[in-house]
Amino acid sequence: MLRVRFLERATRLLLVLLAVVAASTLLACATVKPHERAALADPTMQFEGEPHENAALTHVIDNREGSAGATGVSGGGCGCN
Amino acid sequence: MQLTRALAAFAIAAAAVSSSARASAQVVDFNTTHAVFYEQPTRTKMFVYTPGATIEASPWQWLDVRAGWEADVVSGASVSVKAGPAYQSTHPAADVVSTASVHDLRNVGRGGFTLKKENVKLTGGYAYSTENDYRSSSFNVTARTDAYEHNTQFELAYARNFDQVCDRVQSTDTSSSAPRLRALEDSKECFASSSALRTKRAVDIDSFQGSWTQAWTPTLATQLIYSAEILNGFQSNPYRSVIIGEGLKAQEHQPENRAREAIAARMNLYIRPLKAALRLGIRGYWDTWDVKSGALDADFEKHLGESFRVTLRGRVYKQSGAVFWSDDYTGGDKPLGPRGQYWTGDRELSPFYSFLVGVRGIYTLAPNKRILGVMTSFKLSLAGDMIAFHYDEYTLAGTPVGNARAYLGTLSVTALF
Repeated sequence: MLRVRFLERATRLLLVLLAVVAASTLLACATVKPHERAALADPTMQFEGEPHENAALTHVIDNREGSAGATGVSGGGCGCN
Repeated sequence: MQLTRALAAFAIAAAAVSSSARASAQVVDFNTTHAVFYEQPTRTKMFVYTPGATIEASPWQWLDVRAGWEADVVSGASVSVKAGPAYQSTHPAADVVSTASVHDLRNVGRGGFTLKKENVKLTGGYAYSTENDYRSSSFNVTARTDAYEHNTQFELAYARNFDQVCDRVQSTDTSSSAPRLRALEDSKECFASSSALRTKRAVDIDSFQGSWTQAWTPTLATQLIYSAEILNGFQSNPYRSVIIGEGLKAQEHQPENRAREAIAARMNLYIRPLKAALRLGIRGYWDTWDVKSGALDADFEKHLGESFRVTLRGRVYKQSGAVFWSDDYTGGDKPLGPRGQYWTGDRELSPFYSFLVGVRGIYTLAPNKRILGVMTSFKLSLAGDMIAFHYDEYTLAGTPVGNARAYLGTLSVTALF
């Protein structure tokens, strides 16, 4: 029962992801040029700038709250590679 | 001693990988992080020291490999028998809440790799952890791609845990008047195949996460994250009992299935005149136990000179209680009797709100020539955080939990070879 519910939600998620891809395609014209990326590459602008220290804090928060998840992924518009 | 040996092994590994990597001008990243957690709310306390170390190397342009170790050294006292105000009021002369001392050591070893090609990264990893009363084995895979001149990133991740919890062997004698769910007394003989009093209970966890990161302008980036998790198995605290009737206590009994979902939106804005970044985040969470929560995060990080930067951060959090949460399962009427199919003494499943304030300083040294002849950069991070909790309903037999503040201090050192 739980897995059936989850599949329904996964289907909804897929539709949301398709909408996100469509939205990002439409918005791709708002491209930031490589020479304009200095601020985006700054360490203060990274979503997971200090992963080890962030992990310690997330570990504590997850253990003291009844909820968890969506705490972030690496990346953040640097595109340095 | 064990800690010293582990750190020495990492240092030797770092030096060995570094010397081979230098020959082809490749990079080795070594980090060691140490965190100290402390809290002493009413009648309980907890101290946790968490040392850890990771090493990551890039032997080829298309490959990163990493290995890590982490431990939790836990000591303190926690609630072993939870009762509510109604039960206490009918037993005014007794102290119906009990606490027990806690000592544990969690060791985690992990390894992983990332394959890189143009705009795509594929990551795989594995982790194994042991505690006196818990074993965890997990693997994870992540796929990430960049699009639109690196202004857009999509990431999908999946993780699977195969965990085991130690529990007490429960009586199956239905004619006995003794409670059928008795709490685990201690972790002695846990996972010993010869033990007749201990058993293993499985916990399987499937986790999914998808994210979209977007650079909108030269100073603005956003991230949208959705995550879902299905847990199946024993999720109670095996040591904790709850008083569910007159003279009757039973091991905490939570549902075996739980599906959790969360969605978060984050925004980073660079403020050029201040040489600083403002980071804002909002998260909503809901699950099949009917816990709903919301969290707001705000960070402000500023450069102070070339090498130093400082962060001030705050977080506000509020959640509802689980559908089966009650501060007193006896019902309050005579004769006192259990109510409901499930019962818990977990304050994290009660309605509460909390706020966090913290500060972090980072010193980075990245000169043109190598530091001590081997390091290309060195980073030192020091952080302190305080979280204050306000429980709306959770009490210890009617006594509200005071001094519910937790403190976290973190020291992290990263060296690039």
